[in-house]
Amino acid sequence: MRRFFTPLTVAFAVSTAIATPALSAGEPIRELHLLTRPQAAQPQEFQFIQLIAQEWRKLGLEIEVDVMPWEQMADVVWYNRDDWDMTGWQMVGRPERSDPDEIVYNLFHSSTADSGYNFIGYENPEFDKVAEAQRVETDAAARRALIDEAQAILAADQPNAMLAHPFNTFAYDKTVWDPSSVVEQGGIGIRNTWTFLSLAPLGDQKDIILNSADNIQAINPLFISGATDSWITELVWDRLLRIGPDGLPQPWAAEAYDWVDDTTVEVVLRDAMMWHDGKPVTAEDVKFSFEAPLGDEAPMYKPFVTSIDSIEIVDDQTLLFKLKEPAAAFVTATLAKVNIIPKHIWEPILSNLGSTDDNAESYQEETPIGSGPYKFASWSTNEEVVLEGNGDHFSAPKAERWILRIVPNTEAALGMLRSGEINFLSDFTADPEILETTATEDGDLDVVKTVDIGFRYIAFNNRRPPFNDPAFRNALSTAVNRDLIIRAAFKDNAVKSNSVVSPALDFWHNEATLEMDSGLERAKEILAAAGYEVIDGRLHYPDGTSETLGK
Amino acid sequence: MAGLAIYLVFVFIAVFADQIATHNPTEILFTPDYDLASDIPPGQDGFILGTTSLGRDIFSQLVYGTQSALLIGLTAATMVAVIGTLVGLVAGYFGGVVDVILMRLADIAFGIPFLPFVIVLAAFLEPSIWNVVLAMALVLWRDSGRVIRSQVLTLRTRGYVEAARVAGSSDAKIVFRHIAPNVLPLSFLYGSIAIGWAILTEASISFLGFGDPETISWGTMLQDAYASQALSRGAYYWFIPPGICIILVVVAGFFISRGYEEILFPKLKS
Amino acid sequence: MTSLRYIGSRLAQLLFVLWAVATILFLLFRLMPGNPLAAYIDPTFTEEQQAALMARFGLDRPLWEQYFIYLANLLQGDLGQSFFYREPVGERVLALLPNTLVLTFTSLILAYSFGIVVGAYLAWTRGSIVERATIPLVLTTRAMPEFWLGMILLAVFSFSLGWFPAGGTRPPGSEYGSLLALYTSYDFLLHLTLPALTLAIYSLGLPLLLMRSNMLDVMAEDFVTMARIKGLSTWTVVVRHAARNALLPVTTSFAISVGYQIQGNVVVETVFSWPGLGRELVKAVSASDYPLAQGAFLMIALVVVIMNLIADLLYGVLDPRVSHA
Repeated sequence: MRRFFTPLTVAFAVSTAIATPALSAGEPIRELHLLTRPQAAQPQEFQFIQLIAQEWRKLGLEIEVDVMPWEQMADVVWYNRDDWDMTGWQMVGRPERSDPDEIVYNLFHSSTADSGYNFIGYENPEFDKVAEAQRVETDAAARRALIDEAQAILAADQPNAMLAHPFNTFAYDKTVWDPSSVVEQGGIGIRNTWTFLSLAPLGDQKDIILNSADNIQAINPLFISGATDSWITELVWDRLLRIGPDGLPQPWAAEAYDWVDDTTVEVVLRDAMMWHDGKPVTAEDVKFSFEAPLGDEAPMYKPFVTSIDSIEIVDDQTLLFKLKEPAAAFVTATLAKVNIIPKHIWEPILSNLGSTDDNAESYQEETPIGSGPYKFASWSTNEEVVLEGNGDHFSAPKAERWILRIVPNTEAALGMLRSGEINFLSDFTADPEILETTATEDGDLDVVKTVDIGFRYIAFNNRRPPFNDPAFRNALSTAVNRDLIIRAAFKDNAVKSNSVVSPALDFWHNEATLEMDSGLERAKEILAAAGYEVIDGRLHYPDGTSETLGK
Repeated sequence: MAGLAIYLVFVFIAVFADQIATHNPTEILFTPDYDLASDIPPGQDGFILGTTSLGRDIFSQLVYGTQSALLIGLTAATMVAVIGTLVGLVAGYFGGVVDVILMRLADIAFGIPFLPFVIVLAAFLEPSIWNVVLAMALVLWRDSGRVIRSQVLTLRTRGYVEAARVAGSSDAKIVFRHIAPNVLPLSFLYGSIAIGWAILTEASISFLGFGDPETISWGTMLQDAYASQALSRGAYYWFIPPGICIILVVVAGFFISRGYEEILFPKLKS
Repeated sequence: MTSLRYIGSRLAQLLFVLWAVATILFLLFRLMPGNPLAAYIDPTFTEEQQAALMARFGLDRPLWEQYFIYLANLLQGDLGQSFFYREPVGERVLALLPNTLVLTFTSLILAYSFGIVVGAYLAWTRGSIVERATIPLVLTTRAMPEFWLGMILLAVFSFSLGWFPAGGTRPPGSEYGSLLALYTSYDFLLHLTLPALTLAIYSLGLPLLLMRSNMLDVMAEDFVTMARIKGLSTWTVVVRHAARNALLPVTTSFAISVGYQIQGNVVVETVFSWPGLGRELVKAVSASDYPLAQGAFLMIALVVVIMNLIADLLYGVLDPRVSHA
């Protein structure tokens, strides 16, 4: 009988690994490859991978760390799903992920194992049932119980070695911005749309000047491009609803919304909204915005609108969204996601594009026109993007301008924050300790840390032995000293994790998952109990199992 | 002389790295109370130059970095010198179609921006210090090749070469016995600057994130320091020493080549 | 006539080199393992959508066909469409080229002005303590990794002293009517100083040592000795006679240095957040954005090749001993 380290979760343990017929008894486990990104790109990941590899070697495993850039790693992990062993990975926190559905369902449901987000190939019918059930459960308490159960199953199976929910660390100059006007969004941090709207200047500097290490890819309401780009699209374009600082959708361009029945939502538009070119925002524009992605011109938004059967304009301010079938996530996933775009601008563009190979994703407006709280002002390639506050907006920002500077050099970004060249540090991936020291020395800076919705982990390829054995995965995960990782790689700027649902999502997080054993000795016990043996310092498969993937 | 002395010291360090280094340069170290030995200032706990943010001994990395530096530098130099010399000899001596082809190849090599080429190559191949050497072998023979060729052109018409030919010596014998020795100083000269180029290029490539993080070199040390914000930490003991070592080795290369003026000369003769 | 023909043949050679470089690039990028679009295909895409994307970038055609389309497009000045930015590569590259050129030329003008004067002085004071101390120093500047020097300058003059901004070409949110207005503004000068200084220090060695050795050659020649015998002042001899003659090869080397320098910019542009071609190239390569990487590389190669040509032509013009027969 296999032993698991969390008594709570024993009930959900999957069947044991399929043992291949014995050729020779318990062959040595091959050299295992662990993928990670370069230190320059991912210093924390690089560090914890080194630390973990060193621990795992003590179990008698040969671990080879392969460093490769993200693009190469993504290629291997996503498109060659049978060819890798383990990889450092991360899920980033986004406002939409405030609802656990995306992470719980997409990452682990067996239907997404072939080409979807379940790239690790985790398959557990028990889990599938729970993941499906929570999707249609509309009662919050009942759904929470299901999400709890899903987390418990994952804790027992350890399809991944979960490691940490890092802090999102940002800083701003508190002599420029009124600290009481900074909004902290749960799971996201202070770099969010709400902060950019409410930041109140204390003195003459009325421009929010922030930094990004990445270049701007596009400013396009029909293209989900780089992460930094979304900061801009969220400000230039309105949506019917927005995810609030509490993680729940709240009315935005829609004054109110109402479920008429299971498949019908009534939306009432706000009065007197204007496009940045002075034309009024109409119900026609809204209808157009949700219908535009249905064609082939905006493939990335298409999945968000396919649940819509029809959109009916009741009067100038009212629309009825009719759905093909009941979908509890419609409000968050669609109404709070799709940008409202001006029909008079995009209709001709889309019809022109219809006759070419290109789609709306490669169309860059000279001057992007939205209706949002900031207007596009200028963009100089790889240097900066300037937005101007839209005084006519129903939620007009208090700042005058929003200026995003591209700063690839992190040391330079810190220097700029001190010198005032930027006054809001919105992109900081380095050691938060340095930022805090800098803030202490400077005196004018306020550093705000927020636990992320996202997380860092090591993904096991569940398709490949020995990772198809939950006991093996458990042992590896147990061998990891998460406290050390948090301290050494994250410099205490993260909380340890054993669940994909972050503690930032207080309502959904299953605290019990953290009651796990840890340490090399315990890991060795788990391995021994499952029949693994160390011979001459090398870990061997249980009796009767041969290495099928020796390279 | 100064150059040679510097080299001897570094060669000594490289050879006896195992004895000189106090720690394994890639091992993550822990303090006596089992905490990660990260960012320890110089001199404390037996870490001569302190430790990196990941808890590795800087002094030991510096010592082992000497091996990579000399390895890259000397191999690259040999490649550049050997390829350049062969091209120059063959093109200059045989002339005709061979000459035309080789010199057109040199033209192409002159049209390839070197550092961008190494970047592309490094992205194309697995990250490794040898990418730099390969790129140099593919591109940087152009300078030495061209100069040596023009040298050979003048040597070929010298009396003693003519005499050898009349006496029935084979082409190979003439080239290697009579002409090659006269162009060797030039080969040596170009080899010497190639050492510096290789080490500097490896550092740049590492800095840009295309290096091999598994290899300890001064370039990867600087990259590590930069990626860990050593300057903001005030960890000058981490950021400065590898830079100084690079400067010393490269300058030593300049000194050794003696005629450093010629080295820095752009050779315009074609 | 002969010189016209010479220029003609050199131009033909230039085109040949560009063609060869373009071909090498094409092969390098196409032979890379994996799907070139891998980084840009969203995991949620269907097979059909992936195929459509491949077709859009012409990657579904046979290699030779792709090659001819690529060459034909190049001839029309079309560098293709960036995978990442979904916009024409040519536009991006041309938008960034001026920044790189300004940085390169400024740093070289600095290096050459200083290098020529000091080089001449060192030749004149040959054997003095100053000369003996300066030469190792100059060699040292040439042996420093550029990014290392740049980071140190940044730490000292920007972070600690606060004299210069830490990156970019202009203050946040500033507007300039034209590129010229930007380049001639005081703010631009402030932003330019540190990166230009870094590159200038690095490239100082060449003009300085070249000038010195040329001066030594020239001063040994008869006409200088004559001038001295005639009793002309030291100053007149150095400036009017020796320096003028020694300057010619240095001028030629300037053109070549532009070609060399523009390659080294890659690193400095990253340190100083300078929106130039080099940084774009690095980004494009690490993002597997092949069309953009190709475009940026070709643009840099174009500058290199043109500068080599100018150097050759200048050499012929300035040194009458070289004949083009």
